Amino acid sequence: MFRSNNIVARIFQRQICTPAPGTSVHCARRFYENLVPSFTIYDVECPDHSFRKFTDDGQYLISFSRNNQDLIVYRPTWLSFSCKEEDCDSHDLPSKARRFESFFTQLYSVSLASCNELICKDFFLYMDSNQYGIFATSTVPSQDAPATGGAIPGFPSIEKMTFHLLRLEDGVILDEKVFHNDFVNLPHNMGVFLYDDLLAIVSLRYQTVHILQIRDSGNLVDVRAIGAYCHEDDELFLNSNAQANFNNYLAFSSISLLFKSNKCMAFPDKSKMHQLPQNHVQNGLHHSQPNLEESFLSGIKQRLLSFIFHRIWNEEKDRTLRVQCLKKKFYFHFQDYVDLIIWKVQFLDRHHLLIKFGSVEGVLYSETVAHRPVLDDVDFSIISKAVFEKSLNASFLALIPQKVVAMEVKDFRPISLLGGIYKIISKVSRNADQHPAFFAVYNMETTEIVAFYQNSAEDLYHLFEQYCDHFHSTSRNSLYMNFISSHSNNIHALEQLRSIKNKATSSSQFVKKMLGSLPFSCQSQSPSPYFDQSLFRFDEKLISATDRHRPSTDHPIKFILRRPPCSLKFKIKLGPEAGSADGRTKKISSFLFHPFLPLALSFQYTSFSQPSVVNIHFRR
Amino acid sequence: MGSLFGDWPSFDPHNFSQLQPSDPSSPSRMTPATYHPTHSRTLPPPDQVITTDAKNILLRHIYQRAEEKDLRPKRAAPEHLVPEHGCKQPRASSSSC
Repeated sequence: MFRSNNIVARIFQRQICTPAPGTSVHCARRFYENLVPSFTIYDVECPDHSFRKFTDDGQYLISFSRNNQDLIVYRPTWLSFSCKEEDCDSHDLPSKARRFESFFTQLYSVSLASCNELICKDFFLYMDSNQYGIFATSTVPSQDAPATGGAIPGFPSIEKMTFHLLRLEDGVILDEKVFHNDFVNLPHNMGVFLYDDLLAIVSLRYQTVHILQIRDSGNLVDVRAIGAYCHEDDELFLNSNAQANFNNYLAFSSISLLFKSNKCMAFPDKSKMHQLPQNHVQNGLHHSQPNLEESFLSGIKQRLLSFIFHRIWNEEKDRTLRVQCLKKKFYFHFQDYVDLIIWKVQFLDRHHLLIKFGSVEGVLYSETVAHRPVLDDVDFSIISKAVFEKSLNASFLALIPQKVVAMEVKDFRPISLLGGIYKIISKVSRNADQHPAFFAVYNMETTEIVAFYQNSAEDLYHLFEQYCDHFHSTSRNSLYMNFISSHSNNIHALEQLRSIKNKATSSSQFVKKMLGSLPFSCQSQSPSPYFDQSLFRFDEKLISATDRHRPSTDHPIKFILRRPPCSLKFKIKLGPEAGSADGRTKKISSFLFHPFLPLALSFQYTSFSQPSVVNIHFRR
Repeated sequence: MGSLFGDWPSFDPHNFSQLQPSDPSSPSRMTPATYHPTHSRTLPPPDQVITTDAKNILLRHIYQRAEEKDLRPKRAAPEHLVPEHGCKQPRASSSSC
C-alpha cells in the first residue's frame, strides 16, 4: 500500500488512500517498520525481581519478588526529559535514563503467598476485558504421596494450591480457588486454559477437568467438573440407583446396568444394544461387591470407549468381519485405552474441548516444553531387537581436589565422566513412540466425543496446517491476538513450515512433532508487531513470539525488513556494551516485548536464579 | 459533423472519425436487458433468515468428517472405503493453501 519507506510520505499517503477491505490493521501495522526499538540502554539498574510478562493490553508489567512471595505490578511509562540545547538529538541521554524507574512506575506490591507457600512464577493468565489477573501459589510438591481417593499413582501431590483472582488496577484479591492434595501442571500455563471468561484447570492427579467461570463481579464460579462424571447430575443418578442395586442385586443389576450404561455410554441416535462391552462391566460388577465407584470407569473414559467402539463398528459393513475387526482394533488394545489419562486440555470454543490423552508413563516423563533441547527425528522404532553394548556404561572417574592442599583421599571428590552416548540412547529409547498420545474433541454440552485421533493422524495434521489460528482459540474480544503470525495466516511462516516438512525424513515423525505442540498453552505468544513475520525477518532460534528461555549469543539479533529494500531495521544486542570478556560460560536469555510500544526488555542469565544483565531497548 | 473532439487538442484528429455519434435529438433506446424468471422454483422461502454459523470453521470441519465416516456404511458394500469419493469439498491437500 505504501510506496515509499519514509514515514512522512507514508502518513501523507495514508490520508488519501484507503487500504484494501479487511486489511486496515495490517496497513496500520506497517508503520512499525518505521518506529523500531533501535536504541539500547545496557545494564539498567533495576530492582531484583523476576519479571514475568507484559499484560496483553500493554497496561501492566507483572513481576514477582525474588523470594516468590510477593507480586509487584508496574505500569510502563516512557522516559521523559527536557533539553535546553540547540541540537538535542546528538546529546546523550541523561543519567536517569539508566534507571528502571524512568520507564516503569511501580503501582503496588501485594503479598500473595503465606509462609510456606510460593508463587509459581511461571504462571500468569490475564483477562483483558476486566483487567483481572490469575496467579497461583502452592506449597512444595511431595513426590511420593500415597494414591488415595482415586488418585493416579506416580504424580506428585501438592498439599495446597491456590488460584488467586486479582484486579490488576489496584491489586485487590477478588476470589480464590483452592485445591488440596492435587497436582496441576503450572509452569508456562500448561495445565490451565483461559478462554473469554471460562477457565479450565486440569487436575492430573484426580483426572478431572474443572471448568470455572470468572464473573464480572470477580467471583470464580464452578461450572462443571469433567472426569468421573460428565453431566452435572450423573453422580446423583448413580447414587440413587446404587441403593436399588444393593437391595435386589442380581435381578436388578443387569437391567439397571443396561439402563445406566445407556445414559453413561451416550448411544448416538441408535437404539442398538451391544452385548459385548456390557459383559465386561457386568462381569466386573458380579465379581466385586456393589461398590459402583470402582467397577465403573470414569464418565469421560466411558464416552471415549463407546465412541471408539461405534466408530469401528460402523466402519465395517459385513457382519462377520465386524466382530473380527472389533477384536483386532478394539479389544486387543482395550487395556491400553482404559489406561489412558488426561494430559492437557484446551478450549476450541465455549462448548468444545480438545483433550490430549496419554499413557501414565508418557505424561510423567514428558519433557516440558523446550527448557532443554529435544531430540527430534531420531526414530528408534526401526530397531526391533537390540542389545546394549556393556561398554557403553564404562566411564572415567576423576578425583577433584576439594581443598587447595589435598593430602588425604577424603579431600577429594570423585566425579564420573560419563559418556554422552548412553544418555542419548536412554533418553530416546523411552521416547514418545512407545507411548502414543491421542486427541479427542469433546462437546461439553452434549457430553459426547466428536472426534478421536492418534497423534500421528494425517487428517488432524491437515486441519492443524489449515486452521492453526482456530487452535489458538483467541476470544473474540481481544483484537490484537488475532494478528499473531502463524502458518495459517502468514505466507512466510507457511513457507518455513513447508521447508521443515520437506526436510523431514519420515512424514509420521513430522506429523507427531507438529501435533506435539497441541493442545496449545494459553497466552504463550507475545502480540508484539515486531514478531510479525510479514514485517520482519529474524532468527527463530534466537528470539520468537513464544516466551521461553533461549541460549544467548554475543552477536546481536537482527530484525530485517521483509519487503524490499530488505534492510536491517534494528538489532537486539544482549551482552554488555563492550561485549563480554568471558565467552565460555553459557548464558540464557529471555525477552519481554511490549504489545504495541517500541519497548523491549532483555534479560541474560548465567545461572538460573539471578539475571546478570537487564537491557532496555526502545525508540529514542 | 465536425470533429468529434471539437476544440480539444488531439494527437491525430482523424482518430474516431468512423464512429457515428448518436444524434442528440433522437436518443437511442439503450435500456439494459432485463431478464424475467420463467419459474418460481428457486425463490427463497419467505421466512428465510441468512445468518453466519456460530461454530468456527475448525469445528465445522471436524463435525463434517465425523458425519462422513458415519455415512460411509450406508453406501453399497462392494465400493471400497475410499474416503475421497463423495466428498462435497476437496480434501485438504498440501497444494491448496
